[in-house]
Amino acid sequence: MRNFLAFVRRFRVLLFFALLQGIALSLYFSFSQFPRIQYLTTASTVTGGIMEVRNDVTKHFYLSKNNTALQKENIALRKTIPSSFIKLNNGLVKINDTLHLQQYEYIPGIIINSTHDKRNNYFTLNIGSQQGVERGMGVFSAKGVVGVIHNVTEHYAVIKSCLTENINIDIMIEKTGLFGLLKWNGKDARRGTMWGVSNDTEVKKWSKVVTRGGGGIFPRGINVGKVEKTDVVEGKPLWDVTIRYSEDYRSLQRVYVVKNLLKIEQEKLEELIPIEDEQ
Amino acid sequence: MNQAVKNILRFVALMAFQVLVLNQIEIGFGIQLMVYPLFIFLLPVEMGILMLLLLAFSLGIVIDAMSNTYGLHASSLLAFAYFRPLIFKLTAPRDGYDPLMETNLHTMGYNWFIKTFGALLIIHHFWFFLLEIFKLNELIFVLQKTGLSVILSFLLCLLLQYLFLNKAVKK
Repeated sequence: MRNFLAFVRRFRVLLFFALLQGIALSLYFSFSQFPRIQYLTTASTVTGGIMEVRNDVTKHFYLSKNNTALQKENIALRKTIPSSFIKLNNGLVKINDTLHLQQYEYIPGIIINSTHDKRNNYFTLNIGSQQGVERGMGVFSAKGVVGVIHNVTEHYAVIKSCLTENINIDIMIEKTGLFGLLKWNGKDARRGTMWGVSNDTEVKKWSKVVTRGGGGIFPRGINVGKVEKTDVVEGKPLWDVTIRYSEDYRSLQRVYVVKNLLKIEQEKLEELIPIEDEQ
Repeated sequence: MNQAVKNILRFVALMAFQVLVLNQIEIGFGIQLMVYPLFIFLLPVEMGILMLLLLAFSLGIVIDAMSNTYGLHASSLLAFAYFRPLIFKLTAPRDGYDPLMETNLHTMGYNWFIKTFGALLIIHHFWFFLLEIFKLNELIFVLQKTGLSVILSFLLCLLLQYLFLNKAVKK
């Protein structure tokens, strides 16, 4: 016992260093998988509040750009409302049918904090569980897909963005229907990669890439970007498809959170898939 | 001003500067500016290493909480604090440190500051980027990030000391 105490006293600096280092590193390596410790992120009330004040100042830097984007979206929507159509046939009667059921609802939010040059980048939103946000919901903007909700508190939420290594959103090439998973190489905020496209297929340059709508996180057909180039993956029969994102995440502010009203139904159905089929 | 009050103010100021200003600046080439190690560096020489580690951990974890890095800053700042006494011993002047004097640029001179702070800052940045990327086959990229960021962070720390620290009266 005395020897042990002597040992502790002799190496107390190193032991204390190792203890604190252990705490810090276990926080760092466990967080991306299990977001347990909410008060250590910008989703907590104190730091979230500070970020909101800061955002009140910096949001004006990108104001004109964001307004233009919103205006463009408005024009696109305005084209579809009844007042912009001419009636061709007055004899038609509109009947309220049961063929269409609403599947998705959208919750508007503003990004109040974000990083872009780290290996894994998280964005903070100013809406939380009180507005109906839940973990695992998809997030997109007027120009393209943004990420998936990672962590929610009462008034704030943290998004795992398209600028994290394993974002794994289901995407496909719009024309041909080839699908794969979205990944990020950790360096360039304008480009991502599409993983899982077999190299016996033809991938055309500048063809549009959209979400596939698998898993019920995103509706089908939300813009992701365009194919910039395809490279060969060594040792695997796959293309390494580089995508140029349609959204510039460095000046992004206004986003929508996707609420899938039929998600429980889809999950229940997919639970019935026998497990032994998977490897 | 009282030593403790001065250091608390410095803690808050450097933290706010790092989180609210520097974390938002993107230069490209993987450069990231970090000046908060200056707080640990300017603490009194005779301060115990356990206290140093504790302060480093708390400053790091506060910065982590505000930049969504979950322990990355805390870990690298701990390394900075752990190596501080060792490097200080290596670069000590011939007749030792004056325990009453603060070890900044003005009191110790350029030569000493570049050697000591430079070495510690390289350890801190290298540790940070190594953990952040955590892939050995991208070691070149880690070194590129470390090299470029250290130079700019160091210059920024020099500038901060010029602006905010009083020049010592020469005896």
